[in-house]
Parts: sequence; C-alpha cells; structure tokens
Amino acid sequence: MRKILSVAVIVFLLLVNIFWTENACAQDTQNAEAVMNEMLLAYYYPQTDVKNEISMRIVNRQGQIRQRRLTMLRLNQSPGGDQSYYIYFHEPAEVRGMSFLVLKHLGRDDDRWLYLPAIDLVKRIATSDKRTSFAGSDFTYEDVSGRALDADKHELIGEENLGTYSCLVVKSTPQRPGEAEFSYRKFWLDKTTHLPLKMEHYDLKGKIYKVYEAQEVQTIQGIPTITKAAMKDLENERSTEIAIKNVSYNVGITSEIFQERLLRRPPREWIGE
Amino acid sequence: MKLERLTQAVLGRPKLVIGLVAAISIFFIAQFPKITIDTDPKHMLPEASPVRQYNDLVEKDFVLHPDVIVLGIVNKDGIFNPQTLKYVKDLTNAVRQIPGVIVRDVDSLTTVENVFSNQGELIVRPALGDIPDTEAGLAALRKSILDNALFVNRFISPDGLAVAIFIPIEPTANGKEIADKIRAMLPKNSRPNQFYLAGDPVARDTFGTEMFRQMGLFSPIAGLVMCIALWFMFRNITVIIANMAVAMISIIWSMGGLIGLGFPVHIMSSMAPVFLMAIATDAVHIFNEFAFRLGEGQDKRKAILETMKVVALPIFYSDVTTAVGFAALATVTIVPVKIFGLVVAFGTLVILFMSFTFIPALLMLIPEKHILKLAAVHGKGEKFSPVLLRLGGFCVEKAKPILLVGIVLFIVALAGLARIHVNNNMVHWFKFNSEVRSADRVMNKYLGGTSTAYLVVRAKNEGAVGDPAFLRQIEGLQRELEKDPLIGKTFSLADYIKRTNLVMHDDAPLFNRIPDSKQEVGQYLFLLQSAAKPRHLDNVVDFSLKTANIIIQLKSWDADTMKSVIGRANSFFAAHPLPEVEDFKPAGIAYFNMVWDHEVLWGMVSSFLWGLILVLILLVFQTRSFLWGILSFLPLLFTIALIYGVVGLIGKDFDMPVAVLSTLSLGMAVDFAIHFVGRFQQRYKEDPRLREALIWTVARPGKGIFLNAVLFALGFAVMAFAALTPYITVGVFMAAIMVLSSVMSVIYLPALIQLGRQKLIKRGGV
Repeated sequence: MRKILSVAVIVFLLLVNIFWTENACAQDTQNAEAVMNEMLLAYYYPQTDVKNEISMRIVNRQGQIRQRRLTMLRLNQSPGGDQSYYIYFHEPAEVRGMSFLVLKHLGRDDDRWLYLPAIDLVKRIATSDKRTSFAGSDFTYEDVSGRALDADKHELIGEENLGTYSCLVVKSTPQRPGEAEFSYRKFWLDKTTHLPLKMEHYDLKGKIYKVYEAQEVQTIQGIPTITKAAMKDLENERSTEIAIKNVSYNVGITSEIFQERLLRRPPREWIGE
Repeated sequence: MKLERLTQAVLGRPKLVIGLVAAISIFFIAQFPKITIDTDPKHMLPEASPVRQYNDLVEKDFVLHPDVIVLGIVNKDGIFNPQTLKYVKDLTNAVRQIPGVIVRDVDSLTTVENVFSNQGELIVRPALGDIPDTEAGLAALRKSILDNALFVNRFISPDGLAVAIFIPIEPTANGKEIADKIRAMLPKNSRPNQFYLAGDPVARDTFGTEMFRQMGLFSPIAGLVMCIALWFMFRNITVIIANMAVAMISIIWSMGGLIGLGFPVHIMSSMAPVFLMAIATDAVHIFNEFAFRLGEGQDKRKAILETMKVVALPIFYSDVTTAVGFAALATVTIVPVKIFGLVVAFGTLVILFMSFTFIPALLMLIPEKHILKLAAVHGKGEKFSPVLLRLGGFCVEKAKPILLVGIVLFIVALAGLARIHVNNNMVHWFKFNSEVRSADRVMNKYLGGTSTAYLVVRAKNEGAVGDPAFLRQIEGLQRELEKDPLIGKTFSLADYIKRTNLVMHDDAPLFNRIPDSKQEVGQYLFLLQSAAKPRHLDNVVDFSLKTANIIIQLKSWDADTMKSVIGRANSFFAAHPLPEVEDFKPAGIAYFNMVWDHEVLWGMVSSFLWGLILVLILLVFQTRSFLWGILSFLPLLFTIALIYGVVGLIGKDFDMPVAVLSTLSLGMAVDFAIHFVGRFQQRYKEDPRLREALIWTVARPGKGIFLNAVLFALGFAVMAFAALTPYITVGVFMAAIMVLSSVMSVIYLPALIQLGRQKLIKRGGV
C-alpha cells in the first residue's frame, strides 16, 4: 500500500512538473511575442506620424562608397496596424526626384508605386517579396518597414548587457521555413526603450552572416529614437550605415499626401530639396 | 674510377648496405600519411603571377565565386510541368544544406527575382515561386520566364527543355564530394527528367580523386607487367626482386621527400612512380651483362666487378642525362610541372646510386644455386641471338638505304610537326562517355556554357559606365562575341538596363534597347538595386561606375574558345574605338586555362631546348668528341621528330600531357644511344675490327637495349587502359618513345658509324 502511494505521489509530482514546464514554456513564448510587439511599436510605430531625413552610406569590398539621401514621411493608420510611407530621394543627383509610395497593410501585400522622373512615369509595383534590398543597401525592405509579428515564432533566450543597456535576447524563427534567407534571427532589445540595439541573421546552416547594430540613440521630443545604425553583410563584406536627421514627430501629416498622382508633385511643405 | 671503389666497398658489406637502404626507406615511408593533393588548375601558375593576382582581384571586386557547380535538369517534354518544377525548387533548397556550399548564393529560377510588366503593373517576384497546377498557369509561368532575356541560356534553355542551378562552393570545399552528395539527393526513377552535374570544381576534383585511383591501380599493374617481362628475360626471381626493389626505393624516397617537404601531389607528380619504375629498368643492363659474364664461367664476385666496370659509365651517363632532362622542367613557370621534374630527377639519381650500391650488394647475396640457374639460362645455347647478329650485319651492309629511309621519314615528320595544333581542354581529360564529360556535353548542348570567362572593361572616369554610349559599346561587344557559336551567353549591366527599359515601357519592343540619357540609366540602375540581390549587380559593375564586367559563358573548355573571345574583343575595340574606354582585360577560369596552356607550351619548348643543349653537352663530354656526341644525339632527335610528326599528322591536340612528354622523352630516348656508343667504343678498343665490333654491339648490348625498351614500353603500355586520357597519352607515348629510340639506336647508329667511319674513327680517337 505504501508502495502504491509513493508511486502515485511520484506520478503526481511528475505530472505537475510537466504541466509547469509546459506552462512556463508557453508563458515564455507569450512573453517573447509581447516583447517583440513592444519593439515593433517602439521602432516602427512611434507616434502618429514622423518626418525625417535619412542618409545612407553603402561601402563595398573594394572600399567604394555609394551615398543616398532621402526624406521619409510616415503616417500610422492605427497603432501597430496599416501604415503609409512616402519616400523621396534627393541624392545621388541622377535619381533626384525619384519617389516611392507604400501603403503597408497587415495580412496582405502592400501597395507600392514608384515615380521615375527621367521618363516621367508612375508605375504600380506588385510584389510579395519584402526581402529585396532597400535602394541597393544591405537593409531589406522588411528591415525598413517591419516584419509581421506572426511571421516568426519568438523565444526569449536570455538577458545580456550591451554596453550600458540591459537587453532581452529574443530568437525569432520563421514560421514557414525556407521563406526567408535566414533560418533564424536574434534580437537584443533594450529593456527600457524596447528598441532593437542589435540583430543577427543566421543562414540555413546556422552560420551568422549579417549583423545590425544601433550606434546612436537620441531622445527626440521625448521619444527614444535610433539615429545611427549599421547593417554589415559579413560574407560579401558590404555594409550600410544609416544616419537619421531632422526627425520630427507628430507634424500633422495627413492621408491626402499618400496618393499616386502626388508622386509627380511631391508635397513641398514636407519635402525640401 | 671512384664508382668502382664504391662497388668494391659495397661488396665487402652487402648486408650493411641493404640494411641502411631499408632504414632510409622507412624514414621516407613515414612521410606518406602527410599527403595532400591539389588539382586546381589555378595553382598551375605561381601565386605571384600577374594573371592569378588579377583574377583574384576581379573575383574579389565583383563578388564572384571562383568555384561553381552547375546542376542541370533536362526534360525532353519540357520542364514546365509541376513535377520538374518541384525538382528545381526542392533541389535548390536541398543543396543549400550541404556543407561547403555557399548557402545564400545558390542561384536558380527559384532564387532570382523576375521583374516583368503585366497590364501596366511592374511585377517583382521570384522567377519560380508557387508552382501553378493549371495548364494556363504553367503557360503564363513559361512565358514570364522565357521572355526574360537575362534568364535564357543561363537559367533555362531557349526551348524550355533544360534548367540550371548554380551552386557556388567554398574555395576549400571538395567539388567531387559535394557533387556526390548532390547525386545522392537526386530523385530516383524520375524519367523523363535527367540530371547532370558539370562545372570546373566537379571536373577538377573528380579528376583528382580518379587520378589517385588510376595511379593506385596502374602503378602496381605496370610493376607486375615488368615483373612478368623480367621473368621471361632472365627466369630469375632475384633479378625481378632487385629490379623492383630499386624502383620501389626510388619511388619511396622521391615521393616521400616530396610529401615530407610539404608539397601537394598534383596530377603530374602522381605519374612519377610509373616513370621511376620505367627508369629503374636501366638496371637490366647490369643483369644482362652479369648473366653474360656468369655464362662465360667467371666467379660471382669477379663477374659483379667486371660487370660494373663495363656498364658503369653508360649507366652513369644515361641516368644523369635522364635526370638532367627532367630537371630541365624546373625552368618552367608551371608549378606542378616544375615539381614533377625535380621529383623524377631526384628519383633517377636514387636509381643511379642504387645501381652502384644496392644492386651489387643484392647480387652478392644471391645464393649460389640461383646464380647457377641464371648462368645456365644464358650459358645454355649460343651467347648471341641469331636474329640480332643478322640485324647487325644488315645494318652495316645496307647503311645507305637505311639512311635514305631515315631521311624520308624525317621529312614526313617535319610536315607533321608543321601541322601541330596547340590546345588544351580539361574536360577532355575524361573519356568521351565518362559521367563528367557527358554531363558537360549535354549542358553545353542546351545552355549557354559550363566554362566561364570575364571581360572587365574599364572607363577613364568614374560614372562613365552609366553613359549610354558606354553601355552600347558593351552591348555591341557582346553581340560580336556571341557570333561565335561556342560563346553561348554573355551578360552585363547593359542587359539589365535594357531589360528594365523594356519592362518600364510595358514590353513595347521599341524600348528593348539602352535608353538615351544618362539620367534614365541611373534611375534604372537605382531601381534594379531594389529589385535584385545586391550581389547580382555587384557582379557586373562597381560602385563608382568605372569598371563593368561582362560575364561570358563558353560551351567549350578549349583554350581556343577563349582565344576567340580575346580576338573578337580586340578587333571590336579596334573597329569601334570609344574614347571613354580605358582598357579591357580578360579573367576567369577559361582565361586561366588559356594562359597556363600557353605557358606550358612555351615553357616546355624552352626547357626542351635547354634540355637538348644540356644533353648534347653531356654527350660530347662523355664521348670526349664533338662528332660522337652528335652521333649519340641523332637517335634522340629522330625519335622526337617522328613522334611529334605523328601527333601533328593524326591531328591530336598538343595539350599539356603531350607538351610535358616532349621534355621527358629527352633524357629517356638518349639512354640507348649512350649504351650503344659506350659499349661499341670499349669493344673497338679491345678488338679494332669495325664490322665485327658493330655486329657484336648490336648483338650483345643491343639485347640489353631491346630488353630494356620492351620492359619499359610494357610498363607504360598498360596505362593505355586508364580511364583518364592524359594517362593514356602518357602510356602510349612513352611506350612509343622507348620502342622507337631503341630501334633508332640499334639500327641507325651502326649504319651511321659505318658510313662515317673515316671521320669518326680517326678523329674520335677510339
């Protein structure tokens, strides 16, 4: 009898143990997802609208440099929801006036338009691929506009200090294997600002190949904002540095400017030369 | 004579000598586990060579992978069916898991973006994304892919029957191992789909693996054939053991030394064992003479000493000339050839050394009964073969007609020499029906070509490449190149810009051209950067728009095809000068092959000429007479002229193996003349009756010469059954050289001595 009892106790304890572990795991995943969501909101959705000027410096293996300068206008349709982007290129000289209009939708493909001043043509672009390069840089389209939260499975895998910042480390694995170039990514998220301070890409064989690092965080209008960052392609020995200037939040951008026909005549109140 | 003293010393302590040789051999054997191999054709040129450095620079600057395996899928019913398309997709994913494959840069229709126009919209999506399951969907996919000029002949054949997956591998990875892993992944029972693996790393590393298998197989077979031949000649196990032991020792010492010094084994040096085995047959002269002496009733010790006394000089000079012939290869810039020459030269000196130490020691230790047997075989009937005696008489009597036949043959040979065609083709190192060569042939039939070259066109100023005139120049050059049917595909920035212009204008054919303004080009380029992988554009243009790279696919690995590329480019730039173009330079594996091909040829020609001069000097020195030196030299010259005359007449390409052989033949073909002249002079001194002395030389040392030649030829002839063509070439050639030079020496030398007796005998001071 005693034996039976002790066996029952052990079985019970084991069950409890399994339950707790599973529950803890689920909670962990939930936590990770929540943390990633906070990151998306802090990084891609701060305030209702923003206007900023981005300079990109792309360096190749030979040490040659390509410069880009653009103005980006962003308007959130709803927090964490659809967004509109207007991107106007100032430099290099031969592409001055080229502009992109992106209506980002959650759950379906974005609407994109492009304007080419050289042939005075507005063209709608249909694409489901967000992994293409953004303007020839090492950032992808997705890096610039955000990747859907549910595209990946997120796990909290630890905590780490990056300099003076204390960070949560999250591992994100695509839900559909083979859909992206990476097999998983690792994020270092600042606990206080939720901003991504570092991100690593791992290829299908688990080898690291691309690293993103925030290099400067400023508080603008009370909002922590990454103003300098770099993306390094370790294999191709290419890298892109971006510097973000003239950031102003809540300047009153309205939906009206995000129209196809306005690509020819950029809104001068927001976009200078 | 010092050599005699050496032999005397050896005869005193035969066991010690053999023990020492064994101990040294064990030291060299211990080096073998350190073996490394290298079959990369790029390593044919030294690291510091400008061509290699420039090639590395081009690969680095344009982010190009030097080693790319091409996996082809051919379906005779067309590849646009769900099954074949799924293979393309699955295999593209599967090969990326293989260690050594550069995961992110595997390119196929599933990884490249297709940018096309559809009802006024610009569509950007993977060329092969979701596989359609309806006929209409498949037809639309087929159209979208085949309409894209950037894909046709590169990723897909124009008729839609074949597709290619490009699999770049790490420089340190082994192409054959990866190819084997890919083969294991290929679906079984997939008819009518057929799979082919081609590309430089597959050919190269398969060759490397095969090379060792072939050498592992043919070295022992060559050895065995020589053993059997030796048995028929001497019917004595000891002789066989002695001969083989000398061969093994020289192989072990030289290959062990090579490996021990940290050099990788290349295709060339892998052949060294067979060469050394053949050179070791020189010891036959010792056994031949030793058997004659024993047969004449001398005692063993005296027979050995007497034998060594008479054969010492011919053996010394023939081995030294052989060594010099091989060492002359050290003047060549091709690294593997240089190493090979030095290895065989060293091995030959080992053989020489063994001839004076190890062999006498071994003969000393032969039990009496074996010696008696050896003596009995030779002593039984007559001493001289009646055939050889008759041959000797014939040569002396019919000297003039023999000479006339020789002159006619020589003229025919010269006509053949004039027709020699220099070319090299690595894939042709495999047999016609081998897997590698068949795959290469099929892929080249359907697609743009498995061999790659680059033409880097440099502008004078930054930004100039974006100039429409510059791009049109590049486009014009491409069209000119493509006139050659073996140049299957070229692509450059011009193709990307043209394609973008076309697509932006809704496929209106008028816009299938380079746009007119620099601004337009700049904006298209900018657009392309957002629609392609950054690497794809980096492959064809640098950031500063100063240099453009034209990627050229060739359907043939012939060096000639690359020559055509350069020839066409030169004449195009001459006919269409553009002030903005600073210069253009070729690179890539095809160019590489062409350059070292050229280097091999001229390197061989110059080392061959050096070798000829050195051998002539040695011969004059040995015979102490200019005339006798020339005389001993003639059979060599004649043999080489005849052999290369035949090469020219039958239209065989003068490729690397053949070129290398020319130098090798030097030291070997002269051996018999050295023996013949040396022994004739000795005999004539003892008994100054010219006719008798000549006939005696034909009959007695002549027998050794023929035995040596047959032995040598048999050893090499087995290589004719090898699976790799360079080995076949080497086998057949060396056998031919041996047989020819023995015949030339034994027939022409007596005839020539007879004809020139007044000058030779008087002035020669014999």
